[in-house]
Formats: sequence, structure tokens, C-alpha cells
Amino acid sequence: MSDIAVHTRGSGPIERIYSTLRRVPTIVLWFIVIVWSLPSLSVFINSWRTRDAQRSRSWWTTKPDELTLDNYESIFNSTTSGGLSNSLLNSMAISLPATIIPISIAAFAAYGFAWIDFKGRKGLFIAVVSLLAIPLQVALIPLLQLYVNGAHLTLPWLDKTITIIPDFNLVNTTTAVWLTHTGFAMPFAIFLLHNYISSLPRDVFEAARIDGADHFTIFWRLVLPLSVPVLAAFAIFQFLWTWNDYLIANTMAGTNPDAIPTTILIANLAGDFGMNEHLLPAAAFVQAFVPLVVFFSLQRYFVRGILAGSVKG
Amino acid sequence: MGDTVGKVVETLITIVIAVSASAAVWLIANLIVAQGRNHWTRFATLRLGIGGLLFGIILSGNRIISGSGSIEVATERNGDTSWVTTGSWSERLIAWIWFPLIAMLAFAAVGALMSMRDSRSERTLIGAVGLAVVAGVGGALVREQFRPEVDAAALAIAVVVVAGLGAAIATLRRRDTISGALTGAAIGWVIGAWGAPELGAGSSVWSTIALAIPGAIIGVRAARPNVPDEAGRDRMDRRSRAFIFLGPALLFVTTNLVVPALRTLYLSLFDRNSEEYVGLDNYRTIFTNPKSWDTSTWRDMFTSQLMWVGLALLVLFVILGIRGKRRTGRVIELGSASSGPLLGAVVLIGFAVFTTVRGTIVNNLWWVLVVTLFSTSLGLAIAVLADGLKGERIAKSIIFMPMAVSLVGASVIWRFMYIARDSAKTQTGVFNSLWVALGRLSTGDGLPTLIIGAIVTIIFGLLLVNIARNLARGEPARAAAPAVFAILVGWFLLRYWRITGTGVGGHRIKDDGTIVAQPINFIQDPPFNNFWLMIVLVWIQTGFAMVILSAAIRAVPTELIEAAKVDGATDSQVFWRVTLPQIGTTIGVVVTAIIVLVMKVFDIVKVMTNGNFGTEVLANNMFREAFSFGDTGIGAALAMLIFISVVPIMFLNIRRMQRES
Repeated sequence: MSDIAVHTRGSGPIERIYSTLRRVPTIVLWFIVIVWSLPSLSVFINSWRTRDAQRSRSWWTTKPDELTLDNYESIFNSTTSGGLSNSLLNSMAISLPATIIPISIAAFAAYGFAWIDFKGRKGLFIAVVSLLAIPLQVALIPLLQLYVNGAHLTLPWLDKTITIIPDFNLVNTTTAVWLTHTGFAMPFAIFLLHNYISSLPRDVFEAARIDGADHFTIFWRLVLPLSVPVLAAFAIFQFLWTWNDYLIANTMAGTNPDAIPTTILIANLAGDFGMNEHLLPAAAFVQAFVPLVVFFSLQRYFVRGILAGSVKG
Repeated sequence: MGDTVGKVVETLITIVIAVSASAAVWLIANLIVAQGRNHWTRFATLRLGIGGLLFGIILSGNRIISGSGSIEVATERNGDTSWVTTGSWSERLIAWIWFPLIAMLAFAAVGALMSMRDSRSERTLIGAVGLAVVAGVGGALVREQFRPEVDAAALAIAVVVVAGLGAAIATLRRRDTISGALTGAAIGWVIGAWGAPELGAGSSVWSTIALAIPGAIIGVRAARPNVPDEAGRDRMDRRSRAFIFLGPALLFVTTNLVVPALRTLYLSLFDRNSEEYVGLDNYRTIFTNPKSWDTSTWRDMFTSQLMWVGLALLVLFVILGIRGKRRTGRVIELGSASSGPLLGAVVLIGFAVFTTVRGTIVNNLWWVLVVTLFSTSLGLAIAVLADGLKGERIAKSIIFMPMAVSLVGASVIWRFMYIARDSAKTQTGVFNSLWVALGRLSTGDGLPTLIIGAIVTIIFGLLLVNIARNLARGEPARAAAPAVFAILVGWFLLRYWRITGTGVGGHRIKDDGTIVAQPINFIQDPPFNNFWLMIVLVWIQTGFAMVILSAAIRAVPTELIEAAKVDGATDSQVFWRVTLPQIGTTIGVVVTAIIVLVMKVFDIVKVMTNGNFGTEVLANNMFREAFSFGDTGIGAALAMLIFISVVPIMFLNIRRMQRES
């Protein structure tokens, strides 16, 4: 029986049906792709429709003539939504420092771990990188207290309190948010940059050393220019991470309407019992616009960051 | 508009100040160290100057030095002293900075004088007298309320104990014992003179002495080492460079991660206001609260259809496994017919358990099961299906795109997919539209009903053909998967053609025979609303799994695949026997990364339900307790639970890194 089946492949009706079945995987793939893009598509189309249209008719029945810019006008008008333009600025004020500052600090550290010889280097490196998987929830309560009160150490037995970090009144500012991001980014940034910097060829460093260059010169003149790809990868990863963050911003600045980033604004819009529900698609699209531009223009670097960062916590 | 410009300017100024200030500190540190090799005097001067600056900052920062009194006015209330700050910010800055600056210059001068003398006794004299005078002046300026009483006993004990400690540490580290003892003595003196006694009752004479003496000791200590030779300077350079390069990062890691994490552990042992020690009570409260772990209805799981179908699949797995063992010697084998039923059984039985045993912790476990399993397997499937296909890049970009969207944005996006509107109105959400439309189709008898019915029937027929073909080829094991699908589709058809029941989809037949649409409230109907929330994260994480796994698949050596094909392996055999074992480690990485992410899932639950309707998870519970209800103890304990649950994965990661390096 099986012999016959082999000889008649492609001729019998059962075989013909079976060969169409072979194309099923490709069809399934494109079906998944369509399903995957439906949610974004629904929000994108809804963002151009009036409140009335959104509530009464399905978005896939939209005709070109019912599209309107009203929602986008409303969300940039601060009276109806709490000011999207303001929160876009806050998002920038958080994401830019939270991307630039960790990069420089981590680049120093990664170079130190990779090319400066000192005792306990390996142990310290593993200790820092093992913090990768720490869930950030575990640090939130004390950090908020730090930003509210500063840090004071009460000496045991002596009953004296020393101020270690004074109260800079940082709570509810964007500064508190990016400072927190900077700390949390450290292990991953060091890990990612170290992987790259430690794989640079040793000869380069030795040649420079013979020419009398010290660590600072080598770092500045050699390592930084050579590390641009990995710095870009981390910058994109970190920018998207901080732009899209909700938990840290909500904890550190959530109660100050003047300091909230876009994610909180949208979550608040979503939480007000449908009052402004028709503005949500437009707001969500504007919020996602910046990361999407970054994503599509720099996808190669982003993928590199993801590939290297698959252990981030 | 003016507001906006002001805000942009303010933000830019903050960034510039922050970046340039840190860069300046870092560059200065590098410059100072760079002097060590060739300009020893300069280096010694700068080094002691920095010490003086720190000394001044500690005194000024704790408001110990008087002289800023015109700016900061002390007020007594309820026995606590507080300072009311007056003046503009520049005045305040000057009031704060003048003492550290003067201390820096004075210390630097002493350092310069010391480094110019070759004989140790001269250096000792200069150092001791110089630093004693400078520190003594600081002591004389101490505010009245900080002047300590004389407590000779405490002073003696502290000096002896800490000096002994310093000497012991120095000896153990094979350094100069006397230097260690001197450092210890100075620290001990500060503790004994300032830490132990009452502050505020002493005289200015004693406060002067109490700082001058440790100053002198430090001066003697600083004079001990000779000017190091070339090798010594080299060693020092390396050590301080390591410190400079790592310092900022370690500072951030310590203040933002390590210390807060330890403090969370500490807070979790205290009550809601962190006042009273309660031991493990917070953890006990969490575990005994029925909201986190409600087993009261566990018997219901045996009446759930999910459980019985799952058990049936398990039986199928056992039968196929035994057959497989006879042929290949292994019960479970990748890609064998038995692994499909096993996976199905795990999912269905898991669902049966998670829908009957309810609670926060149970929800987290359910999230882990669904998101990990679905994202990884879907990501793998897409990576394999798209590999080498026309349009691969477009397909992958679309699947990967949700990674760039925030979790908040994704939640908003999916709310529009899940919208359930009144049964009398048009459904605007995709899922409910389909569901209600299916209900209409299966209760109607027009042309669309026939077309959909015919398509499904054809699919059913194709499945039967596939089963028959595999049976005819003498491979009954390969017929198992299509058989399972055929049973599902057959069941659907029985309902659809109304052979049993009243049709499928969202509809309800009233007593008078009219048919009403019946949408599903995806977000509010427990327990399956949890599953619909998980789908949002699956939507995002599948792209992540796909990117990593397709990179791994690309990295599989082509010789292996060629060799397998030469030996006559089919495509699916190549995948299960060659590719999959090769990317096993990567799958492990993806799974652990997703588990870590899922354990702390917060945004989706917060935005979609805020933990209502039985969807609470640990992270949202923690946020509510700690920041909405102000219960620091329970909040910290919940944070620790999230942490503990990822500790095993942290260990796995560390092990892997050690192996790689």
C-alpha cells in the first residue's frame, strides 16, 4: 500500500489534496501575522473617528469620508485630557537623561571590568551582573522614602542620627524618575557593554600601552569610538524601556499632574470610566509614535540589544 | 506656549548640569590620579585637598558648622530642632559651601608642605600640627547644640577598640600595622568623642580638642609612608583607576538596588508604619489571606470539562508513550506523536486547576504557565515558518512590533479588541463581533451559514483524509494529532449544524423563540478574564521569543542539517531531531527571561482591571498595599515574594555566565 502511495505522488486526488495541505504552514503564518496586526490597526483607525462613530459602528466598516482630526486636536488641548503635550515633554525629560547618563557611567565600568587589572574583579563583576534579574519592585518602597525624606542612618547603640543624603525634595519630579531608571539600568548596561568591550582585540590595547597611553586615554581615544554599535544598541533599548515605563514613573511622580509622562496620562484616561474613551486611541497612537519611529528606523540595533539582553529582569 | 518653552529649557538645563557636573567630577578624578606618576607633590596636595573637601561637606551637610545661621534659623518644636531656611538659593549655596572650600584649601596646603619634605619626622610634625589646627578650627565653629560632653570612659574604650580593629585588619591585609592602628584610633576618637556622649551640653574648648586630636592622628598617619617609587606609583595608579572607572556605577548600584533591596527585607518585618517589629507576620498575613490562596472550591476542578479532556489527553499520551518506548526506547521524545497530547494535557489540567483554585499567587502561576508556554511556542513556530520565506522580514517586523509599544499602550489597544457592548447594539470589538456573528450564523439558515458550515466541513474532511493516510501508511501514532483536531472540529460541527444543542457563538434564545446576541465580557467575567489579560502579554512577548529563537536557528551549523538531509531525514525530522536540540539552551534563555518578566507583571493588570474581577497579581497587589493603602510592611513582604520567586532563575543565570566566561 505504501509503495503505491510513493509511486503515485502528485497524481491521485488524495495526494493532490495532501500537497495543498503542505502549504498550510505558510497560510497559517500569514494568518498569525494578520491577527497580530489587527489590534494596532483597530486603534489606529479608531483614532480618526468621532466619538459617536467609535461607539456605534465597527471600525472595519469605516468609510474614508468619516475620518476626522478632532481627537488629535482634543488631546493636545490641555483642558480635555490634562495636556498630552506637557506629558510628552515629561517623557522626554525622563527618557533622555535616563538614556544618556547610564550609558556613560556603564561604559566606564564596563571598561574597568574588562581591561583594568585589580583584585576581586571577576567576583565583583558577577555580583553586579547577577542583579540583572532583580525585580525592581523590591527597591521601590525604600527609594520613594529616600526621595521623600532623604537618607538618615541611626547609629545602633549610640542613638545618633547622621544624614547621609539630605532631602532634596525630589519626589514627584521627573528627576526622581530618571535617577531611579539610571540605577536600575546599571547591571544590564554593564553586562551588555562589557560583553562587547572585553572582546575588542588585546593587541590594540597593548600597542597603546607601549606608546605611553594611560587608561583614561585608551578609554577615550580607542574604546569609545570602537564601541559605537553596542552603545547605540543599549541606547535604543534603554530609551524604549524608559519611554514605555509605567511602574517607576507612577511610583515616583504619579501624583503630580505636571510631572507625569505619557504612559500615566493614558492610564489615567483609561481609568476615568469612559468619559474620554474616544480620545484613548489617538493618545495611545501619539504615545507609541516615538518608539515606533525609533523601532522601525533602528530595528537592527534594537534586535541586537534584545538578543544580548535576554537575561534582563 | 510659554510654559512649554520654559519646560524644555528647564529640562535641557537639568540634563546639561547633571551630565557636565558628573563628567567634571570624573575628569578631575582622572586628572588627579594622572599626576601621581610624575608630579608627586601636586598629587599629594590634591589628594589631601579632596579629603578636606569631604570633611567640610560632612560637617556642612549635617548642619554642624555654625556661620550659616543667618540663612538657616533653628526652631524648637516638641523637642525636635528644625531649621527654617531663608534667603535666595545662591545665598544658601554660599552658606553651605564656604566651609568645605576653606577646609579643602587648608588641607591641600598641609599636603603640599608635607610632600616637599624627605624626612619622616619633619613630615610628621607638619602633618600633625597642620591638620590639628585646621580640624580644631572646625571644632571651634561647631554649633552650640552639637558640642559634646566629655565622656572619658567611652572615649578610651572607643579609641582602644577601633585602633585594635584597624591594626588587626591592616595586619591581615599585610599592610603597615601602625598605620592601621592610627587610622583606627582617629575613627575611634571621633566615635568616642562625638557619637557616644550627649550633644549640646559641652563647651567649645572640648569640641575643638575633640576634632583637633583625630586631625593630628591623621596627620601622623599621612606622614608615615615614604614617597613611593616607580612600581609603587604604578600599582597605586591601577588601583585608583579601577576605583574611578567603577565608582560611579557601583555607587548607583548600591544606592538604587542593593541598599533598597536590603531595606525592603527589613521593612517587611515591621508593621504598616515601620514602627513595630512583627517578625514574619506580614508573610503569614499574605499566605493566610483567602485573596492570595483560596482553595475552598478545589473540588470543582473535577467537575470541569477542561480537567476531563486534559485527563483524556494524558491517557492518550501514556498509550502513545508506551508504543513509542517499544520502538525507540524513550517515552517522551521531541516531535514524537506523544509530545503533543502531553502538552495539551498540561495546559488543560493547568487551566482546570487555575480556574478553580483562585487567588493572587495562583494568578501569578497561571500567568507564568500561559505567557511562557504560548509566547515561546508561538515565537518558535513563527521563527521556523518564516525562515527563508518570501516576505520574511515584513512578517517578522509585524510580529515584533508590539515590543516597541508600552504595556500601557498595549492594554489600551486590547481594550478595543475586547469591548463588549449591550446585546441590543452593534458589537464594536473584533472578538465579540465574531462571536456574536457566529451565533447568528449557527442559528440562521441563509447562504452565509451554509458557506461557513461547508468550509468547516471540508476542513473536517481533510483531517479525516490525513488520519486515513497515516493509518494506511502504518503510522497510527502520527494520526494522533489530527485525530485530536478532528474531534474538536467534529464537536463544533455537531453544535453548528444543530445536531446537538442550539448552535455555537454568542446568542441566547428567549422563551418566545427570538434570538438575542450574547457578547462575552472578556475583561470582567472571571475566571477566564485572566486568560484574556495574559493574551496581551503573549502578543508582546511572542516577538521577543521569535527574534531570539530565529537568531539561534540561523546559528545552527548548516553541515548538520545537510548531513541529516543526505541521510534521508524529512523536514520535520530535521527540525525535531537536529535544530531543536541545537537551540535548546536558547529556548531555556527565552523561557527564563519571560518567567522573570511575568512574575512582576503589573501594567496590564493595573490598566485593564486594577486587580478587580479576580485578576489580582502580586505586583499590582504590592503597589496597592504600599502606595495606595500605605501599608509598608505588607507591600515590602509582597515585593520580597516576587524577588524570592525569581531567585532560582538568578542562580541559573549566574551559573550560565560563569560557564561562558
